[in-house]
Amino acid sequence: MIQLKNASKSYMQGAREVHALRNVSLNIGKGEFLSVMGASGSGKSTLLNLIGGLDQPSGGEIFMDGKPLHGISDDELTLIRRRRVGFIFQFFNLLPVLTAAENVSLPLLLEGTPFSQIQPKAVDLLKKMGLEERVDHRPEQLSGGEMQRVAIARALVTNPAVLLADEPTGNLDSHTSEEIFMLLKSLHEQGQTIVMVTHDPRAAAYGSRIVTLKDGAISEDITTGGLEA
Amino acid sequence: MNILQLLRHISVKHLRHQKARSLMALIGIALGVAAMVSIDIVNMSVLRSFEDNINRITGRAVLQVTDAESGFPEAMLDVVQKVPGVEYAVPVIETNGCLAWGDERAFAVLGVDVLQDGNIRDYSITDESSDIPDPLLFLARPDSILLTREMAAREHIAIDQQIKVQTVQGTRTFTVRGLLEPDGPAKALGGDIAVMDLYAAQLAFGKEGRIDRIDVSILRGESLDTMKERIQAALPEGYNIDTPAGRSRQMENLMGRFRKSMDMIGYLALFVGMYLIYNTVAISVVQRGREIGILRALGATRRQVSGLFLGETVVLSLAASLLGIGLGIILAKISITAVARTVSSMYGRSSITDLTIIPLHLAKDIAIGVAASVIAAFFPSRSSSRISPISAIRSTPYSSDALRRHRGLTIASLAFIGIAGAILLVYKTAAHASPLRSSSMTIAAMLSLLLGISLSTPLFLRRFISMFHRLFAGRLGAGGRLAGLNLEKNLTRNAVAVAAVFFSISLSVSSSSLLFSVQKGLMDYIDDVERSDVLITSGHPLASAGAQTIPMPLEMALEIEAIPGVDAADPFRKLFITISGRRVLLEAIDIPRWLKRNTVKVVKGMQGDVGTMMPGKDVISVSESVASRYGLKPGDHFTLPTPQGPVRFLVISVVVSFASDSGVIFIDYQTFRRIWQDHNADMFSVYVRPGNDVIDVRDAIRELYKDKRKMFVLDSREFRAEIKKLLDQSFEMNNAVNLLTLAIAGFGIIITLLASVFERTREIGILRSIGMKRGQVSGLVLIESALLGLAGGLLGTFAGVLTGWINLEGFFRLDFGDSISYQVHYLSICWALLLAVGLAVLAGLYPARRAAKTNITEALSYE
Ligand SMILES: Nc1ncnc2c1ncn2[C@@H]1O[C@H](COP(=O)(O)OP(=O)(O)O)[C@@H](O)[C@H]1O
Ligand SMILES: [Mg+2]
Repeated sequence: MIQLKNASKSYMQGAREVHALRNVSLNIGKGEFLSVMGASGSGKSTLLNLIGGLDQPSGGEIFMDGKPLHGISDDELTLIRRRRVGFIFQFFNLLPVLTAAENVSLPLLLEGTPFSQIQPKAVDLLKKMGLEERVDHRPEQLSGGEMQRVAIARALVTNPAVLLADEPTGNLDSHTSEEIFMLLKSLHEQGQTIVMVTHDPRAAAYGSRIVTLKDGAISEDITTGGLEA
Repeated sequence: MNILQLLRHISVKHLRHQKARSLMALIGIALGVAAMVSIDIVNMSVLRSFEDNINRITGRAVLQVTDAESGFPEAMLDVVQKVPGVEYAVPVIETNGCLAWGDERAFAVLGVDVLQDGNIRDYSITDESSDIPDPLLFLARPDSILLTREMAAREHIAIDQQIKVQTVQGTRTFTVRGLLEPDGPAKALGGDIAVMDLYAAQLAFGKEGRIDRIDVSILRGESLDTMKERIQAALPEGYNIDTPAGRSRQMENLMGRFRKSMDMIGYLALFVGMYLIYNTVAISVVQRGREIGILRALGATRRQVSGLFLGETVVLSLAASLLGIGLGIILAKISITAVARTVSSMYGRSSITDLTIIPLHLAKDIAIGVAASVIAAFFPSRSSSRISPISAIRSTPYSSDALRRHRGLTIASLAFIGIAGAILLVYKTAAHASPLRSSSMTIAAMLSLLLGISLSTPLFLRRFISMFHRLFAGRLGAGGRLAGLNLEKNLTRNAVAVAAVFFSISLSVSSSSLLFSVQKGLMDYIDDVERSDVLITSGHPLASAGAQTIPMPLEMALEIEAIPGVDAADPFRKLFITISGRRVLLEAIDIPRWLKRNTVKVVKGMQGDVGTMMPGKDVISVSESVASRYGLKPGDHFTLPTPQGPVRFLVISVVVSFASDSGVIFIDYQTFRRIWQDHNADMFSVYVRPGNDVIDVRDAIRELYKDKRKMFVLDSREFRAEIKKLLDQSFEMNNAVNLLTLAIAGFGIIITLLASVFERTREIGILRSIGMKRGQVSGLVLIESALLGLAGGLLGTFAGVLTGWINLEGFFRLDFGDSISYQVHYLSICWALLLAVGLAVLAGLYPARRAAKTNITEALSYE
């Protein structure tokens, strides 16, 4: 469902040009749980950002469900992010002024759906994440693991085609990390397409397929079927 | 609208969280709107009161015939009465009297034809004097006067009481024969009005055989315009036939300058408010960068993001504008009495009892408040929509699109500066009479210039920092280097602080240079034209637009010259004449005597001609503004309305005069007496013989007229001090605004630096961990702060010098001619720069302390 054809991305750092991705071609099928591995600076986040429409490639093509993500207007790309993609970040990126339920509702609020209509769904999702007690709490009142679960609920609220996670446990202790991975795994089992960036091989093993990047290019692509699967 | 949802869920909470900053912006706009509202209410109330007074005093008259201020022959009454279609035409003398005791209470005196006036005006007289049975007849006695019940009560005057009233002929004694009930004309001017018989008034006020006005009512079915034409045709040239409304309009024109400076204050206040909004939104965009990134990543469009900030601005400014309306009404209530007093002494008697509040104007002020805020918020909210989602949510943001944004800023900045230049060009080349030549144009140019320069602050700051690196950074050690780098890293945010300093400094530099120029120009002018030792004036010596005064008889010159030590007392007569609907000051001067001791600055024409050609002849000189308004040059002829009908005068020179913003025409006193048949003076310039003490002479004059006449006797020092006081006063308001903007600028610096200190917690922690001392950390922040202040100060000085000149154009040269030269006040520039840096360092103290207190271990484990 996601196709990259010779996608590349370069940045200007001062006068120097940095090639963060070089001619990457990749097909991600529906229902896959893809782990992206690689050393720091190898281009993992860049790849994920391109897939999620946070950025546009400097060369090559990217398609989601056959529709191009490259060369389209910012507004079109924004709507794809809003409706088709769910993001989970390393630093959670919740809005500190909003409650858990409001944070979860945000993508639908942007869509214009009245909060009263979204609220039951948001509360329901938070319940599924085991956060029924935390619905009206603000991020600063939550632990790291709880914040990340709010973020996952937020990513799911639009029933996105793909869930993108960039080092989702980079800021969590190992026990909490385990819980998050189990959560992602169970989502995968319910048919959710997931792309997760990590540099931890143990975490990557939760995926059904592991792609390794080196200096902006794919150096390895293994299909495992997933840990304990 | 989903923006509303975002506003409800996100913005309201932010507004609540950033109480202090939101409150500042709210107060800023509220004050701006309040200033506009109160100025409008006061203006409208003053005008309405003038209008009301005029309507009450004119009664049923629909047309009024007037001439020069000194009146015209009563024979014209017959002429007007005979015009077909005229129902009634009644003569009126309207002048001023002043109770010779107690405080200076001046009142209007209406001299009317007792038998006829009832056709035009209604009087209800009660408490008539008991010894004269016919209420109408008692007025025929020359010493009879009617007062209003209000005034009698206030001054404790009873029926049949004798009162001393100062008149042109000195103090006269009248007997109060009755009291007027508050109705018709008796309700005008807050009751400060007295009615006399026409003949008695003519005698008392030195107007034998003359009247000031004819009030005309017309027969049913006659049109106003035809009647106007008919009367005009019947009378010699030079008479004005106007409706009461037209007279109110004249009053309005007369007050134009007063309103202009008031409006200027309103605009300035609003601009300060806009600045606060800009500052608030810009900083809020910077601080909420991460939030914006998250929203963008989750699918908020650019329009939604900028809409969020604009929406917040609309909500805030709407609340602020409503608050401003309330505040403005309160302000108007408080200031109306003081304004009414000023207006009465400078422009004409008015009595303002009620505030005139026009709902439509209030709505307009709200709209302006909101629109101004949205304009101010436009640029920062647009930049908010440019924040890229990735850089905002990264732990260490890259500044990728900074360069492109700066190119846009440069273009916008140049565009605004270009617009300012274009407006000035149009203004300078427009004909004097053109509507393009107005102070709104210069205000627009000034605002556009300030906006343009504000937008260039990021660029300027970058240049400034690179210069700092090259020249000084090495000498300031590691702190110096780091300070420069830090400022560069967050150029946009730091530029906001610089812009705040820039704005306040430019205001203070421009107003002090303006003040200095005007002061110098005016003082030089006075030193040229007014070298007398003692000045005697009948009205306030600085009343500019012919507020009614009681002129002094010419014979007083002889009395004064008889005082020991007095060398000469030169008479001046100043009155307003109306030339094609506009009032111009006619200044009659005894040229030969005057030129003995004073000089005149001739702009066009021969210097010597004034002395040789003017005395006794039908020759005039005109001020620069009159020359350009009517296209006059030496050798031209110009026709003036006179009591003898239109008279053609030869213009021999164009001279400098600041005597009136309506323009001045000079005439020799002898010529004036011959043609106007007026033997009064509004001012005497007294010269003291060498060896005599000026103060003694001044006191002797005061003593001589102590009980006889209310007048101002000032020695030249007092006179100059009085002028300086007035000048200073008009700039006091400006200084208050300057102070406010400086405080705002300081506030902006504090916020900027605090934000930057918080953002750099980790960096500061690292620096501390590798051995930077607390003192070095706070030094670093203070250097940054001082640099921000200096950059803003330099830019502000540059802009201030320019805007000072622009304001001089729009507010002085426009009315007084080009002869006033622009003087940059260097001392105040030094002060401004010192103040900018000092204030910045002061503002940096708190953030510096916060930075020095950074806890190393916490900072390093953060995030
Ligand atoms: N916005 C940017 N501007 C400049 N360089 C960038 C930007 N984003 C990433 N890079 C560079 O691209 C390379 C790849 O970065 P990234 O994809 O974040 O790596 P990873 O996530 O694998 O650590 C790095 O060298 C990084 O410095
Ligand atoms: Mg990364």
